[in-house]
Amino acid sequence: MSALLALDKVGKSFSRGGLFSSRRVDAVKEVSFALQDETPEIFTVIGESGSGKSTLARMILGIHAPSSGSIRLAGQDVAAYERRAFMARVQPIFQNPFEAFNPLKQLDRYLFMTAERFGEAADRKAAEGRADEALRQVGLSLAEIAGRFPHELSGGQLQRVAIARALVARPRLIVADEPVSMVDASLRMSIVNLFGRLRDELGLSIIYITHDLATAYYISDRLIIMQKGVVVEEGPARAVLSNPTHPYSRQLRDAVLTPDSAGAFRGGYPPKAVPASGAKP
Amino acid sequence: MSKAADQTPVLQVRDLQAHFRTRYFGVNREVRAVDGVDFDVRRNEIYGLAGESSSGKTTLVKTIAGLLKPPLEMVGGSARFSFLPEWDAIGRAPPEVVRRIRWRHLSYIMQGSMNVLNPLRRIRHSFRDFAWRHLGGSKGEFDARAAAHLERVKLDPSVLAAYPHELSGGMRQRVTIALATICKPDFVIADEPTTALDVIVQKDVLGMIRSIQQEMGSSVLFITHDMGVHAALTDRLGIMYAGRLVEDGETPEIFERPLHPYTRHLIASLPRIGDVKQREGLEGTPPNLASPPPGCRFHPRCPLAMPVCATTVPAMVETLPGHRVACHAVNPGAVA
Repeated sequence: MSALLALDKVGKSFSRGGLFSSRRVDAVKEVSFALQDETPEIFTVIGESGSGKSTLARMILGIHAPSSGSIRLAGQDVAAYERRAFMARVQPIFQNPFEAFNPLKQLDRYLFMTAERFGEAADRKAAEGRADEALRQVGLSLAEIAGRFPHELSGGQLQRVAIARALVARPRLIVADEPVSMVDASLRMSIVNLFGRLRDELGLSIIYITHDLATAYYISDRLIIMQKGVVVEEGPARAVLSNPTHPYSRQLRDAVLTPDSAGAFRGGYPPKAVPASGAKP
Repeated sequence: MSKAADQTPVLQVRDLQAHFRTRYFGVNREVRAVDGVDFDVRRNEIYGLAGESSSGKTTLVKTIAGLLKPPLEMVGGSARFSFLPEWDAIGRAPPEVVRRIRWRHLSYIMQGSMNVLNPLRRIRHSFRDFAWRHLGGSKGEFDARAAAHLERVKLDPSVLAAYPHELSGGMRQRVTIALATICKPDFVIADEPTTALDVIVQKDVLGMIRSIQQEMGSSVLFITHDMGVHAALTDRLGIMYAGRLVEDGETPEIFERPLHPYTRHLIASLPRIGDVKQREGLEGTPPNLASPPPGCRFHPRCPLAMPVCATTVPAMVETLPGHRVACHAVNPGAVA
């Protein structure tokens, strides 16, 4: 087994404050995990805001350099890659598709640019072929997207275009930072299901960063739970979420509100010993 | 619904229509963001409004609260509050009347707590700006009252001396809840108050909204797209799709017996921990409100669509006791 991505005791600290009052803040501390080449998987990173999950994503994407430890892609340090060669292997998907695209630029131009820069498309004709292929993988086609501007599509369609754009480069790994939190409820599951299909059909590995435990349970293979920059629990997604052992993971799992938590607050909060007038008969 | 909720409505919304109207170079464009909505909010209950982005939830509550700014206009219908019986909508009342009831009778918790709190003023000053004129008393008395009220949302009185940026997101949202409830208003509108918070903080804040509501016996109109939050918090629930209400009823009833195909999809598509069943997204895309589909606005995406759905708007009919739905497949022959 060779590692596609290997993180070894990765840390990142920022300094905050002025010249004399500066404090060091550890955003990520000693995070280690590895994704194997032979077994494509959806690897989920769960944590609250401020837990360091986005900083971790930025380090994997090579946007920030880690302060300590190493991140290796296919055995080579991320920082040692030539940028274009790196982007051909690792592609990002961001949270808000409305912010990810320039409103004044036609969407197909993003796909062509990605094909020409990272996808080794020699000319426009080849780029169009690559773009169409990628769009078909997400359930769209170049004919639908050509010449369209971002405001003409819904959030779910735009997020699919963003995924297609990432696929144009034929990457080995996709880093998706909160990819469904801005997508309409009726379209969210189609995006999540699409990730599953990309893993099963294209053999892509996806790092799925989220605070939504329910979709993590639904789609991911393995996960880590982060709190204040530290991994507090890790393992197979369903086993961990069905039976969390760390107090923080339990607290997270118990805070998830589902249709089954009907009336959780009806007796006031924290729940009183004897339900008050608000209790369901 | 909680038993304590009494049946007199605090808010009666009837056939409310609010459109965005723009006119450039002689071309009129009209976006019907709210198009004929009817519902009541009773005393001492939390009424939830669910729906995806751009379904008109926020436009609806802005219209109800009278926060209309061009190009948004209230075109027709009424939204009558029991504490303002002489006007059929706050937006139509003169400014001095609105100033008198705002915050005293009606308050509004917004999504981004940073937008409500002036970043250059300490929390104490924000409290004075908002509520002092309604509560009166000396400065010292008012500050003591604010401090006591902050304790209700489990914040230390020292928060009064802080600037907004010194507080975490959860603390700021609790400050805005305290601000919105210090005058003990009859009616509180909460527009996605917990969407920006993480799940653990969200649970605390929701519990706080419920206990303050019960203590004061006020009514809350609670908006979020998160069905899990609705299940846990609200007494009754209305589902919006493309500017219209498609279903409403008591929350447990909606979750147990959803009738409208859109509601059924919303509830069935929610993934749950412990359940590995395959879940599907809905085909198609939410409609463009500048040119919404004729008839039932859900028909292009509806699994039960019939020919009549493409031509005729279904009426909102009480199908089961206290449970209304607007769908031709559920109520054959009911036409708006």
